Amino acid sequence: MAVKLSANYSKKLGLPGFSSHSFSASVEVELTDLSQVEAECQKLYQLLQQSVDHEIQQVGFVPGEFYGIDAVDQSGNNGHRTGHAHGHTNGHARNGNGRGNSVNGHSRASNGNASSERWNCTDGQRGFILRLVNEHNLDKQGVEDLARQFFGIGVRELNKMQASQLLDELLAKVGQPRQTHRRRQPSSSQHEPAVSS
Amino acid sequence: MSARTTQPKTPVSTPEASTRAEKDIIAELLQAVSASRLTLFLQCRLKFFFRYVLSIPKPKTPALHVGNAVHVALKARNRARWLQQPLSLKALHDAYSAAWTDESEGKVDWASSEAEEKAIGWRLFETYLREHPLPEDLKPDAIEVSIEADLRQHGLPRLVGILDLVLQRRIIDYKTSSTTPNPEKVAHTHEVQTSGYAVLYRHNTGQRELGLELHHLVKLKNPKVVITPMPPMSDDQQTRLFHLMDAYQTGLQRGDFVPSPGMQCASCEFFNECRRWK
Repeated sequence: MAVKLSANYSKKLGLPGFSSHSFSASVEVELTDLSQVEAECQKLYQLLQQSVDHEIQQVGFVPGEFYGIDAVDQSGNNGHRTGHAHGHTNGHARNGNGRGNSVNGHSRASNGNASSERWNCTDGQRGFILRLVNEHNLDKQGVEDLARQFFGIGVRELNKMQASQLLDELLAKVGQPRQTHRRRQPSSSQHEPAVSS
Repeated sequence: MSARTTQPKTPVSTPEASTRAEKDIIAELLQAVSASRLTLFLQCRLKFFFRYVLSIPKPKTPALHVGNAVHVALKARNRARWLQQPLSLKALHDAYSAAWTDESEGKVDWASSEAEEKAIGWRLFETYLREHPLPEDLKPDAIEVSIEADLRQHGLPRLVGILDLVLQRRIIDYKTSSTTPNPEKVAHTHEVQTSGYAVLYRHNTGQRELGLELHHLVKLKNPKVVITPMPPMSDDQQTRLFHLMDAYQTGLQRGDFVPSPGMQCASCEFFNECRRWK
């Protein structure tokens, strides 16, 4: 009786900017009897692991920090590409790119296709989020979980308003809460509209 | 001195340095505008000049202080709902009290008893909680979120603002008031703000708001809440807002800081400075 042995080896590695890539290899061999299984498994595992490890070092296309912003802009869905969502965050926006981080992968952002690399927020917000993550060693998965807790979607899917709200939370987390004090003129009692700034 | 290109008499050390600083400040004000700045500019350009160009410090009014503390308590309540971690009334009162002691925006010029004002503010908040209950599992879309819209394609400055609360695509703004608002007039008097918020919401979410609401917390002997619901911003309202922003931009570029004498001057904190204007 022929014995078929199927082996599969898969590996996923993180890449900068909340992305990751994965590769798997499978093989099926036919054995003459069950006594060969253990040795064959050992051999196949080594073979597949070496092959996958060798190939996965080729990271191929890695999206840049602002990847997808142009495409989103052109679709007309997300407005401008040069805007900065927060006056007082200007100057930080393009500094953080996450490339200095070690490769801690994110399981929810793993397929590497173009749509998954897009961020719905502005390039400035994206840069600022990544910068906060890098400079304060925030756990990326924690940031992802926070976005899901608040909005039910991942960080990349946040629109500009949601990204701004996430930034408020992250800034509070790292002890740099955003100053949102504003003058709230009482309504009508002072012959002027209730206003804020 | 031209009435249109007014440079009000200001407390300055050196005129050259002051003029240069004013130019820089005006250039900055031309970059971005909030609904409140725009409203103030339209209300009285000289008052705008005193507040935003000269930044003349004025003591905080009790009414403003009460409004700020109530807003902090409302924010704490909404945030707790968001995190699905309801806060006790004591925790909310602690947040209110902490805001009450915050003097980062300057000391308050108490005309009446501070303790009495504090009690009034808290009663106002409690009334709102009681009269406007929301399901605890109803998650906000945003709470006190600061956002902006790049309107360069319209030849306008950036519009910036902070939305108090967005709930199920409805933009809610809290007001504290000592008088009951007239539902018909309030939509008009607050249109710059509500239209501004609608523009901000649309630019930042890619969606149209489902409506806007003004929640007035009215400081009467028996506090009450008046909610004024409004439909989504119309195209005409957006056009009107853009015209007003254009007037703001043009006025600032011309240094147009003339006063607008009227009933509102009675409560203006810059009354004395204004009287010296020529």
